[in-house]
Amino acid sequence: MGSSGVLADSTTTEVADLSSANPYSLHRTAHARRSEYVRPHRIRIKVGTWNVAACPGTDKDLARWFVDGEGLDPALGSSKPSDDGGPVEHELHNGSPRDASPIELADGGKIGLYVLGLQEVNVLTAPSQYMTWIYAADDSTMGKWKAALEAAIPPDYQLVVAEQLAGLLLLAYASPEIAPTISNVSTISVGTGALGYLGNKGAVCTRIVLGEVTQLLFVNSHLASGVEDYYLERRINQAQQIVNQARFEPIVISGVSEEEKTKIGDEDFAFWFGDLNFRLDRLPGDDIRRLLMLHTRGEYDLSKRELRRENSLEGEPIVVRCSSDSSDEVMDRDPDRKPQNKPDDKAVENQAADDDSVNLPDPDDFPQDPQEDPASLQATLSSLLPHDQLRRLIKERKVFHEGWREGPITFLPTYKYDVGTVALFDSSEKRRPPSWCDRILYRTRKDMERYMTKVKEEEEARKKDEEMKARGIEEAADDDILFSYDPENDSEEHPTPKVAEYDEYNEAEDGGDDQSPDQADHDTIHLDLYTSHQRITSSDHKPVSSIFTLDYDAVVPELKSKVHAEVARALDRAENEGRPGITIVADHHPRGAAWRSGSDAPAHVDFGEAVFLRKYTSTLTLANTSGVPAKLSFIEKPMTNELGDGDAAEIQWLTTCFVHSEAADDDTESVDLGKEVTLEPGETLNAVLDAQITDIVHARMLNEGQPTLEEVLVLRVTDGRDHFITVRASWAPTCIGRSVDELIRVPEGGIRAFARSLIEAKARAGAIPYDLPIHRPAPKELFRLTEAIETTTQRVIADAQMLEDCTVPSDPGWPFDEAACKSTDVDTRTSHIISLLDALDQDQALPSAFAPEIPALHRLEALAQTLVLFLRGLTDGIVPTALWNRIDQAVPSIPSLANPASLPADEATLDNDRTTVLDILQSAPHHNICFVFLTTTLARVVAELAPLSKADLATLRGNEASLLAGTAAAARGGGPGAAIGGVLSGVGRRSLGFVRKAGSGGTPVVAAWAALEKRRARERRVSEVFGGLVCRGQSAGGTSGERRAGEARRRAVMELFLRQKLE
Amino acid sequence: MADSSAPKPSSSVKLVLLGEAAVGKSSLVLRFVNNDFQENKEPTIGAAFLTQKCNLPTRTIKFEIWDTAGQERFASLAPMYYRNAQAALVVYDLTKPTSLIKAKHWVAELQRQASPGIVIALVGNKLDLTEDGTGSGGDAEDAGGEDSGDARKISTEEAKTYAEEEGLLFFETSAKTGFNVTEVFTAIANAIPETSLKTARGPGASHAAARTEEQRVNLNGPRDPNAKEGCAC
Ligand SMILES: Nc1nc2c(ncn2[C@@H]2O[C@H](COP(=O)(O)OP(=O)(O)O)[C@@H](O)[C@H]2O)c(=O)[nH]1
Ligand SMILES: [Mg+2]
Repeated sequence: MGSSGVLADSTTTEVADLSSANPYSLHRTAHARRSEYVRPHRIRIKVGTWNVAACPGTDKDLARWFVDGEGLDPALGSSKPSDDGGPVEHELHNGSPRDASPIELADGGKIGLYVLGLQEVNVLTAPSQYMTWIYAADDSTMGKWKAALEAAIPPDYQLVVAEQLAGLLLLAYASPEIAPTISNVSTISVGTGALGYLGNKGAVCTRIVLGEVTQLLFVNSHLASGVEDYYLERRINQAQQIVNQARFEPIVISGVSEEEKTKIGDEDFAFWFGDLNFRLDRLPGDDIRRLLMLHTRGEYDLSKRELRRENSLEGEPIVVRCSSDSSDEVMDRDPDRKPQNKPDDKAVENQAADDDSVNLPDPDDFPQDPQEDPASLQATLSSLLPHDQLRRLIKERKVFHEGWREGPITFLPTYKYDVGTVALFDSSEKRRPPSWCDRILYRTRKDMERYMTKVKEEEEARKKDEEMKARGIEEAADDDILFSYDPENDSEEHPTPKVAEYDEYNEAEDGGDDQSPDQADHDTIHLDLYTSHQRITSSDHKPVSSIFTLDYDAVVPELKSKVHAEVARALDRAENEGRPGITIVADHHPRGAAWRSGSDAPAHVDFGEAVFLRKYTSTLTLANTSGVPAKLSFIEKPMTNELGDGDAAEIQWLTTCFVHSEAADDDTESVDLGKEVTLEPGETLNAVLDAQITDIVHARMLNEGQPTLEEVLVLRVTDGRDHFITVRASWAPTCIGRSVDELIRVPEGGIRAFARSLIEAKARAGAIPYDLPIHRPAPKELFRLTEAIETTTQRVIADAQMLEDCTVPSDPGWPFDEAACKSTDVDTRTSHIISLLDALDQDQALPSAFAPEIPALHRLEALAQTLVLFLRGLTDGIVPTALWNRIDQAVPSIPSLANPASLPADEATLDNDRTTVLDILQSAPHHNICFVFLTTTLARVVAELAPLSKADLATLRGNEASLLAGTAAAARGGGPGAAIGGVLSGVGRRSLGFVRKAGSGGTPVVAAWAALEKRRARERRVSEVFGGLVCRGQSAGGTSGERRAGEARRRAVMELFLRQKLE
Repeated sequence: MADSSAPKPSSSVKLVLLGEAAVGKSSLVLRFVNNDFQENKEPTIGAAFLTQKCNLPTRTIKFEIWDTAGQERFASLAPMYYRNAQAALVVYDLTKPTSLIKAKHWVAELQRQASPGIVIALVGNKLDLTEDGTGSGGDAEDAGGEDSGDARKISTEEAKTYAEEEGLLFFETSAKTGFNVTEVFTAIANAIPETSLKTARGPGASHAAARTEEQRVNLNGPRDPNAKEGCAC
């Protein structure tokens, strides 16, 4: 593609550097691939310039010439820079995809962009007037011209530029197709007029970017007037000043700004137009006038009548046929060039025909080559043009030489006419010589580059030449010299080689290679029209207009976003390539299928149903799939273990550790590798996730349906990306963590199934509602556990009697005091407990929970601990707080509790106290039943574990009298039975010593007393274990002394019921 | 805790896939692991890792599959992935002669650098693109002849001869149709010596040297019936 300004700048410097990850790299990398989203487009641009000389009514004429193309006079100028009728289809057309929203050139070629430059919209001849304009902030002029243009162009065209600098005014409007593709409009005014900066002379310059890629430049300038050489110099200086001063805002594409402001010369296409004020040199004004008058009054006056009728002009226009061969006047002289827009030419012709040429002669009637006809208008123009200052200066490289082009001038000088006449040159005193003041120049990036290259080559050639001269080599002797250069003839300072004398037609021969584009390259601009509008008579200048067709590059937004997305992905990947990265495979996935973290979806571990206390393990295989070692760690999540505030409490149920991958596969000891591990590329290790709910409070919360068992673990790869692992489990409802009132409502089948059916019905978890029917007087779990404990205790005793290696642990708390349970390790017992809970929750007989080979001792410990767990789990205990408070209040009337250190000795008091307590509990019948049931069972178990043989009892009874004799405390006895009970119940720590001292009974007595003491010790210890579990109440409050007293009373209540009558 | 699954011995086998880019390595793995195929797979970056179990009559093999990227820029990473590997799948594209050359390079490199005793399978993929590649059965379309319209560029004979010379397992597969894919992995699983399995996963994957040592010591040694490390669930 020829024109890719913004792009071409950086083509060579921008290398997609994937490894660098600066914020611009996406933009830069995408930019490097721009050819994938930039497509050739075509646009037609109409440029008009007019010095309106502050004449009234000029705005009324605007539409006619600028938009409608009227006012052309085929007689007095040609509209066709080339019209050999060649096909419109151009090579570029073949290459440009039709689907990439090309600019349609339908209906004679829709204009994509109208650009109008006016001069002298205000009369400003003195600085004071300029000041007036400044201070009046008069925008009525702008408003007037905007209105005039908007009225002329289609209503959906959008304003792009509206800028005024004193008399200079620049307006641009874009078609609805083009407007959205325009960005970076930057306009700058350069005043070069009076005092060097005021704006009555100068330029308004606008830079726009088309389709994110192509920079267009429009310069509307009014240069110094005047025929004298002094003014010529000023014009040259002013043009240079404009180039030097115009700076445009840095281009911003996709939010990324270029660093530098742009200037004239950075653009892809430039258009410089306006009243440049260049005159005809070395020709007396009157000669020019006379020469032209020949034509304006001339002999081919075939359309005189029509013209007159329409315009009622004084001048008598002459119809001149401008031949197609007039193209030798085109500075851009390429004989092979094909016109691009035949429809356009037709349109112009049609417009002209519609206008006023109904009776114009058929062009074929004219001599085929008026150029060769010395009498033709074109011949006359051609004879004048070599005297045109602008053309001369361009050749001399003094102004507009840096690649600027102009179309062939086939129209009369545009200045100066009497206002109101088609072709009457200034008839005033001054009789200003006619000249082509109003011009439209243009240039492509290629044009400028070509010029630069040429200058460089010339410079090099000159240097080489000088060197050779210095070495004394004769120029003629060496044919290698690239450039024939004669410094003698080059008196100029600038490196102009052999500038041809600008004589007529000379440029046709050697000027051609100076300016014409390389034929091998496609010319990206085509001048479709360059004409004056002779019949516009409201100003002393004729307006001049051009239509250009540009082939330019523009971003196709859809393609661009696609490339952008790709680049973003590639950058992402590239960035990840050098970074540590892992792949996670959850290969122990309960659902079987291996899950892989290839995508961005988080890894997922589902433990399935989780029951209380059971430990669930899931193993993730972590593989380092990157090229560098990866340091891994799980991000520690702040875990609160404060269980006080209900829902908010987060209880840790998930633990993680890293182990070698082999270890996780088998059951060998897995070595915890620590919190942070480093994994080499190509290696794996395992992350073991353990899920276990051990906390009763947590269990209670889960039973209530809050919270859910869901976590997101974050596995951090240092310097890599975090991996998120979602972990979940579903809670298996259990009897642990319920209330008595819930449990008695559980029907056959167990709590798990029942709670599930409730969850299904309500679609959420929760407590068992108290409005459901009651199925049993006390929780079945309690029946089952106590029953099993009782029978198992008997088995233990039996085993102990029969088996050598089985002895009943002597610890008085056994098997209820966990610390006293030593027959198995904690894990084994826990697994038994889990089995028991499973059985309870599923309403299965407890013995079935044990494998047959498990010894009774182990079973009893598990059962006892399950009972403890069950009681601890009861949300309100067996004696709820309210009831306990009532018991507490009744303490003064309950002697057994009033002094909890030792129970009263007499059975009657004890009985009485039991009745008092049970009476209070009576208000909560189910709790009452539970209490009695539990204490009776425990009492029996204690009795089993600390038996008193008949002999012991007899001995104790037999010794009662002597014991009593020595016991002051036992003085108040009732009947003999009561006395024994009283004595026995009164036995404390010191009693054995007392008995021994008493010395009255001998060995049997000691043994009996020892057995009794053991019984009492168990009663006490078991009561201690159960007191707090059974009786609730705010023991947390108060002083430690009060708390201890409360604990003692709880224990005493239990002891009161555990102590059974001796019989 | 009672384990539910049958106590069939199970062991991990590290398997690496090597071969030129776009021959279908990732596609073979995808077919084996997920029984899926994607027409336009994104190229593998660095490496991919997947696992899949392979049930043999007497044991279960858990493949830890390392799928490498074929592009040259990743070639230097390959040794990290085939280190400690017990099996390798060297893949070429039946329709692309250069891919076999590349495959031979990989085989040579493995024989030189990888663990001794590594089981290598040479796999010619994209059989579906050839005349005989029906995918549903090898014997269909016998009459079709070999030449016209056939994208095959590497004859079975040529590759097979090479494989035999080098002592490689040899298969022609189609990841697209699934033809012969499971067979490759099963064959590899069967070819892994039991002795190598038992001690394959020593006390640490990073202790490659130590492991190799162990492997020698235990060569031909009786399988310890009490060894638990062979059993996974
Ligand atoms: N026809 C056909 N195409 C395949 C087969 N295997 C892979 N491909 C295609 O070949 C391309 C490269 O596959 P991929 O698995 O990424 O190759 P890798 O670079 O070796 O991992 C993808 O477009 C696949 O869809 C096959 O068996 N038959
Ligand atoms: Mg791949």
